[in-house]
Amino acid sequence: MAQILLVDDDQDLIEMNRTVFAQRGHTVKVAYSSAEAQKIAQSEEPDLAVLDVMMEDKTAGFDLARRLHALYPTMPMIMLTGISKEMRLGYTFQPDETWLPVSKFMEKPVNPRVLADEADKLLSGRQ
Amino acid sequence: MDILNILIVDDEFGMRRGAERALRDVTVSLPDINGEVRFDIRTAATGKELEEKMNEGPTDILVLDHKLPDTTGLDILDRLNKSSLDLLVIMITAYASLDTAVTATRRGAYDFLAKPFTPEELRGAVRKAARHLILQRQARRLAEEKRQVRFQFVSVLAHEMKAPIAAVEGYLQMIHERSVGTKLEDYDRMIDRSLIRIEGMRKLISDLLDLTSIESGQRKRTLVGVDLSEVARQAVENVKAEIERRNISIQLDVPAGLSMEADRTEIEMIFNNLISNAVKYNRDQGRVGVTVGMTGDEVRIQVEDTGIGMTPEETQRLFSDFSRIKNEKTRNILGSGLGLSTLKKIVTLYNGDIAVKSKSDVGSTFTVTLHNNFSAA
Repeated sequence: MAQILLVDDDQDLIEMNRTVFAQRGHTVKVAYSSAEAQKIAQSEEPDLAVLDVMMEDKTAGFDLARRLHALYPTMPMIMLTGISKEMRLGYTFQPDETWLPVSKFMEKPVNPRVLADEADKLLSGRQ
Repeated sequence: MDILNILIVDDEFGMRRGAERALRDVTVSLPDINGEVRFDIRTAATGKELEEKMNEGPTDILVLDHKLPDTTGLDILDRLNKSSLDLLVIMITAYASLDTAVTATRRGAYDFLAKPFTPEELRGAVRKAARHLILQRQARRLAEEKRQVRFQFVSVLAHEMKAPIAAVEGYLQMIHERSVGTKLEDYDRMIDRSLIRIEGMRKLISDLLDLTSIESGQRKRTLVGVDLSEVARQAVENVKAEIERRNISIQLDVPAGLSMEADRTEIEMIFNNLISNAVKYNRDQGRVGVTVGMTGDEVRIQVEDTGIGMTPEETQRLFSDFSRIKNEKTRNILGSGLGLSTLKKIVTLYNGDIAVKSKSDVGSTFTVTLHNNFSAA
């Protein structure tokens, strides 16, 4: 049982992931923008956060990851991204302690079950 | 005012000074792009000096003597060709040597002047080169901007199309894996949401087709007398199910038989778009007012709603492609973000305009003006 923060501007991605996390007994808080996510995270530390990249702007999720990391340096974060393909970067992101302090990148679309599996893995590693 | 850098290369001091004087106070006006050009002039006496001067700063027009003490103009042309610099060369050939002039042109010189020439001939050649250069650069810049805009558009479009696919795909995977058990009705919500996203995607595609057909100018327009009250009534009819469900009232104020010379499909797009937006972004039990009138040859369509409204910052972005106002109030409202940008393009076909006044949580008023005799305007 853990407290999960889901951040995505797509209502349905939030909804499906919330359903699967709730099925596994987790408590879920949702935010539709990085501003909203920061507000929620201020009051209480989530056990894990799942972040989208493109929200208010193309890289809102990166900025959010850095802010959340500053607040809670040990909280695991999963970043969902379609960005390496969309921006035609030709490379995939590697997590980076300071620049992109996330635990795991997953390329969209992500099967909600696979996402929840990854989250559980990170959570069990933490305990 | 643009400044072009001219470099005059000649080994005769008198020539250099004469040319400099002839060009010093020249301005070239470019009425097509509303611009004016002046010149900044430098000189060089040898090929070596030319190289030094070229390294010092940009050169736009090179007035180049063929016969130089340490090299020839043709050799310099060859070297310039390899360097792919963005400049034009006016070659000066001695003794009206046609051969050199022809060779120079073949090797990329823009123009040539045969010695002896008058200051006016020099000014004429430089003016012509300046115009050519500026217009060429302008065209290149526009083409580059166009490529950028297109790339931006396609990137955003791809993102907008992938979002609903990802949503439907996710739900299907959950259904496929029986993620919430075996009772079919527990999946109703996922199926409903999938259908809604598919509808959104279909709307995006049809809006996209509307936009490109208007933009392309390829669409065949048929100008006929269009009865505006009839089109307005039909647009209201199209949202009937939704206004009944949400108890929204629509007040139509269009003089019977009011008509204008227009393409019917375009006018339908204007009314459908404005009225469906006024309903979509309204509150339940809200009101929509549609007023159409004509003064002289100007048709004025005003659609007012009592909806969620927008902040001043939001209204500013409203008419660009894919500009959807995303906030918690619009999250559940389907929209492609292309409707109003299409509308704006249609309106320009009628020498018209579209304006919006809006207040957050109070409502918005969209005013479209069209001109009845737009074809003559």
